[in-house]
Amino acid sequence: MKSWNITSKLVRILSSLVYIFLWAPVILLIVFSFSSNKFGMKWEGFTLKWYSELFANVAVGNALRMSLTVASITIVMATLAGTSVAYGLYKYKFRGKKALRMTILLPFVMPYVVIGGAFLVFFTRAIHIPLGYPSIIIAHITFSTPLAVFVMLGRMQRIDWTLEEASADLGANVPTTWRKVTLPLLVPGIIACIALIFPWSFDDFIITYFVAGPGSTTLPLYVFSQLRYGASPVINTIGTIFVALPLIGILLTNFFQKKEVT
Amino acid sequence: MQAYLPYVGLTSVWIVLFVIAPLGFVFYFSFLTVGPSGQIIHTFTLSNYLALFTGRYAIILLRSLLFAFITNMICLLIGYPLAYLIVEQGGKRKILLLFLVIMPSWTLYLIRLYALKTLAGSTGLINGVLLNLGLISSPLEILYTPHAVVVGLIYTWLPFMVLPIYAALDGLNPSLLEAAEDLGATPFRRFFTVTLPLTKGGIFAGTILTFIPALGDWLSPLLLGGAKVMMAGSLVEHYFIKVGNIPVGSSMASALTAVVLLIIYLSMKLGGDEALERIV
Repeated sequence: MKSWNITSKLVRILSSLVYIFLWAPVILLIVFSFSSNKFGMKWEGFTLKWYSELFANVAVGNALRMSLTVASITIVMATLAGTSVAYGLYKYKFRGKKALRMTILLPFVMPYVVIGGAFLVFFTRAIHIPLGYPSIIIAHITFSTPLAVFVMLGRMQRIDWTLEEASADLGANVPTTWRKVTLPLLVPGIIACIALIFPWSFDDFIITYFVAGPGSTTLPLYVFSQLRYGASPVINTIGTIFVALPLIGILLTNFFQKKEVT
Repeated sequence: MQAYLPYVGLTSVWIVLFVIAPLGFVFYFSFLTVGPSGQIIHTFTLSNYLALFTGRYAIILLRSLLFAFITNMICLLIGYPLAYLIVEQGGKRKILLLFLVIMPSWTLYLIRLYALKTLAGSTGLINGVLLNLGLISSPLEILYTPHAVVVGLIYTWLPFMVLPIYAALDGLNPSLLEAAEDLGATPFRRFFTVTLPLTKGGIFAGTILTFIPALGDWLSPLLLGGAKVMMAGSLVEHYFIKVGNIPVGSSMASALTAVVLLIIYLSMKLGGDEALERIV
């Protein structure tokens, strides 16, 4: 019993260190995004000027627009594909089902450089898809669909499917059942898909880097092009916004949940 | 017509077209060479693979395997206790604690690595503190070493080890643990004979999710290793993008693919189908 207690104390210390390790670089990024030092890694007094520079930056705006466009199209297409495949996998038994499950996972588990390189070769040497929006969107849909499939499969395992049968027994045809019963039951899964695919697509750097071609810049590609010039406060501000938005969301949800309990 | 086809048909075609075919093309190109003016010569050759398994490239490939293995092991050794602690003692804050592990991975991984780099640089905070405390007299060379690259890999991929282990631990039937306790098992014994075996699916899912991306990583060696510590991903990028020698790049991508498929196979063999199901 005593050695177990010592072990759990060690685990506690280790875990705190892990949190520090994960967050220290991020916190420094946030702190220095408010520093007036123009090389972005020294404290020289508080300023908001890098944020106003960020919002005035046309290149950042364009990159942001491209990232948002790609992510939006990806969310819609991958969620549709994922929901339909998950339904097929959940409801039916068919030959090649296991093979399908495995191959769907491939773009998710393959190293990014392999997927990116394979796309590049295929698009430029085999089917001549222009590099830019078309290639980026095809790539993003391909590597995001596995996420949607598995999120929706998880949701479907938790649904009371007798409701669907009841609807059919009461005379509803297949489209009506889908619209009135199945789809509403799937809504939590669809929301989870959006929440997962958005950062997945928005953050992707490596695969996009391979298939973007000259002239297309998503936000991560823009950041990469700026890193060549070393540390900069504008990169700190972009990083800060990326950390701050989800963090605020989570803290708010947590706060309101706590209020509900008490 | 089969009833399942409308649901899975279109996506199956998409997968064949945009996953299988591109990987197939890479495999095909890996047996070709380029001519003097950069054109691809369509004659079968094994020379790319011979070059890959001898000399400099072989070292880089072996280094990638070693780094991925170390990353995977350290992520497991850190990630399992962390996930265990969150599940056991997190209580109502369980989800928040889990989010605090995952959240850094939502923020451009490029920017996080760059922040890590500035932290460890010769004028960065770590060296600054150590110099001021008088512990060292000149800045430590942390960057552009194998250690820096491995730390970057752990930093990037650790959350993907914690997540499936957390899910496996959280889904554990508590009555099994109580039964072990009632039967007089010590906490250690209970952990090693009940908890650990029952969560091996999560461990192998975490292995797939950390070993493979670490193996093919390109940004961590690029930002933290520079030209000194290249990995297989660096070579793939170099030949596909910088040099434009697609056959050589393809042979490396194919070798990586082969290793990845082997790892997935082994993980499923050892961890069961659960390893696959726990991935997402």
